[in-house]
This record gives sequence, C-alpha cells and structure tokens, in this order.
Amino acid sequence: MKRSLFLSVLIVTGILSAAAGPSQDWASLKEASRNIRSVKAEFLQKRYLQILTEPLLSEGRFFFYASGSLRWEYLSPIRSVMLQKGDTIQLYHFSEGMWKPEMTQAVESRRMVLAEISQWFQGRFDESKAFKHLYSPGPPARVILAPREGINRFIHRIEIILSARPGLIDRVEIEEPGGSRTSIEFRNVEINSSLPSEIFEKP
Amino acid sequence: MICRKGPDICLLGFLLLSIGCVPMAETALSPGSPDDLPGCYAIFPAGPWGSVHRIEAIIRGGVSSSLLGVTKGEPSEHRLHSLLLTPEGFILFDAELREGGIAVRKAMAPFDSPAFARGLMEDVALLFLPPQVRPTTWGKEADGTRICRWEGPDGSCTEVRGSMDHGWRILRRDDQGEVIREVSLNGPFVQGLASHMELRAFKPASYRLRMTLLQAAP
Repeated sequence: MKRSLFLSVLIVTGILSAAAGPSQDWASLKEASRNIRSVKAEFLQKRYLQILTEPLLSEGRFFFYASGSLRWEYLSPIRSVMLQKGDTIQLYHFSEGMWKPEMTQAVESRRMVLAEISQWFQGRFDESKAFKHLYSPGPPARVILAPREGINRFIHRIEIILSARPGLIDRVEIEEPGGSRTSIEFRNVEINSSLPSEIFEKP
Repeated sequence: MICRKGPDICLLGFLLLSIGCVPMAETALSPGSPDDLPGCYAIFPAGPWGSVHRIEAIIRGGVSSSLLGVTKGEPSEHRLHSLLLTPEGFILFDAELREGGIAVRKAMAPFDSPAFARGLMEDVALLFLPPQVRPTTWGKEADGTRICRWEGPDGSCTEVRGSMDHGWRILRRDDQGEVIREVSLNGPFVQGLASHMELRAFKPASYRLRMTLLQAAP
C-alpha cells in the first residue's frame, strides 16, 4: 500500500502537469483537468537519500488515457513498467534482452490507488482520502498536497510547481519524514494526443 | 578451540575444521608468505565507500524482481548500512550492521522478517567485508589462482579465489563443508568495487542476485 501510494504520487503529479491551465488559478486548473483525455510525458526523477551525497537519477515516461489506461515506465537505471488497462494491472522489468513479469505485483493496492488517481484526474481533489490540497497562485503557482492521518507516516508533503507555460509544470517535490525527498521534472508533455492501445497492454 | 583433553582431541578438532573448509576438488596450494596476505583483501574495498547497484533477484522457478541497492561501508569498523529500493525509489528495507548486530530502520513486507534482515545483511557483508580474522591458509594454485581461506568458530569457512585477469569468487561453506553461498565478481573495479557481481544462495533458501554497479563513491 505504501509503495503504491508513492507510485500514485508520481502518477498524479504527471497528470497534474497536464492539468494546469494558462490562468493558473484553482478553478481553471480543475476545469483543465476535466478536459484531459490523454497525457504523454517524459520525466527526470532525482531521489535524495541521506545515505548518498549525490541523488539517484532515474529517467522515464508515462502515458495516460482518461478511460482508465496507464503506462508508467522507467528507462534507467532500471528499466521497468507498470501497465494498467481497466481492471488489469501488470508489472514488468527488463532483463537479459527481454521483459519479465515482476515478482511482487500488489495488484489490489494499486487498484485502490488508481481509483484515487481517477478522482484527482477529474478535478475532484477535495474528495481525496489521502491528501488535503492547498493552492498557491505564486508566482510560480503551486499545488501543495498535505497527507492526511496515516499517510503522513511516509509522505510529509508534496509540492507541485506549475510552469508559466499552459498545461505544464516545472517540477514536483515529494518530502518524506526523516529528510529523504524526491524531485521529478517533467518535459515534452503532450495533452490529448492519440495513443495506441498496445502501449497499455504490452511492455 | 579449547583443548581440554590433550593434543589428540585438539588435532582431531583441527582436522574436522579443515574438512569443513576443504573445497570439493582441492588442488595443490603453494603456501603464501605474509607478504602475500594483502592480496587476500584485494577484492574488498579498503576505506569508507558508498555504492548504488542495480539488483535482479531471481528465486526458484525463474521468478524475478528488479531493485536498487544502496550501501555504505566502513571496513575498519566492520560497519554497513544498506537500503533496498523499488525502481520508483521507495525504500523497502533499511538496516545497519554494526558491532556485530543488525539494526533494522525500516522494513516493508515481504522484507520485514528478522530472518530476511539477517540473511540480507549477511549476504551484503559477504560481498563487501572481509572476515575479521586473519586467513587460516592462503597461497596460489599452479595456474596462478590466488586462494585465501578463513575459518569461522562455528566450523563455517569463507574462501576467496581468483585473479584480476579471470575474475574472483567468494565461497561460503557451512560446518558440513557444503557451499551455501557463491559469489562471482568481475571487473573493472571502481573505487575498489566490482562492476558486476552475482551471488548464488543454496541454503537454506535458493536464490540468485545479479548486481551491476551504477555509482561508486569514496
């Protein structure tokens, strides 16, 4: 469940990256999210751990269809992918030239998380059971997600820094208790482009 | 070993220990001199270090999982700090080995059993820390392969064998002489760490860990 919530944060931040509108106010942000049919983006993730002097860098991409399909993929340093299409969720990692099913699937918890994401995707942030939201118009505009009781044991705070460019954000910061944090920078975000259905079915 | 009943029993004890540590197909070993001893530690990082590895864990039946392993070591204090993370960066396991004990800071299911913590930290120690005692035997085989053996008080044995040209192996045997862990290490070595390692566990559980070095820091 905790791992899945962490994943959900990553995914939701990607979705929000497409939801921020040009006027950068909360109402337009919600309105923009209602008009999202698909999202495609690349990301650079920096994982800061107290044990390391340099962050762990990961690169990847994700694809989302509002009908309930998702592909969240890391290209490096570990090539892995999570696929969701309807109620079916699959995890794979790439090794020895081929995709292999991941040992730990945790499908049920991921299904719960994706239901949560679906709410957020539709602009229903105030219905989230995991996070309370706070919007700051900036500049730069920010959405701050504060975890509710229970979740705050492993996520301290999430901050989404919106870009001046419509529909984009600059980065997301996820803080954990104990000082570790994750920064995700999005780039090449495309909204409402046509995505082949196979990318949600096959690694 | 305490020799309470005379030198015969003491000798028998030494023989039993030796049997436990003898490889299945032992070849003639030219004993090394004290000057050769440092070579027994060549595959272990000498000073404080940190590393990030890509780990593929394979259990029986070929089922596998990819993880990130972050480890920091202080050889002079026989201390290790290890983390296991998902590809997304979520910490599944966080523990320290210090003063002979294991302190688990965080452990998520299915990595939350004491047996897992003990097994994992023993594996990490086998990979990165030499035994704390002096080798009992060391030397070279006819083909130049260096061999160093450390015997434990419980009858177990750790053996390092290999060469920089052909790669290295670490073997851990139990008190019956059976190999319970086998590690292969291949260069190039970066900051004293092998670029590629594979650990095969045979007892009590069977699994394989393939590790690729991603980052190394002093």
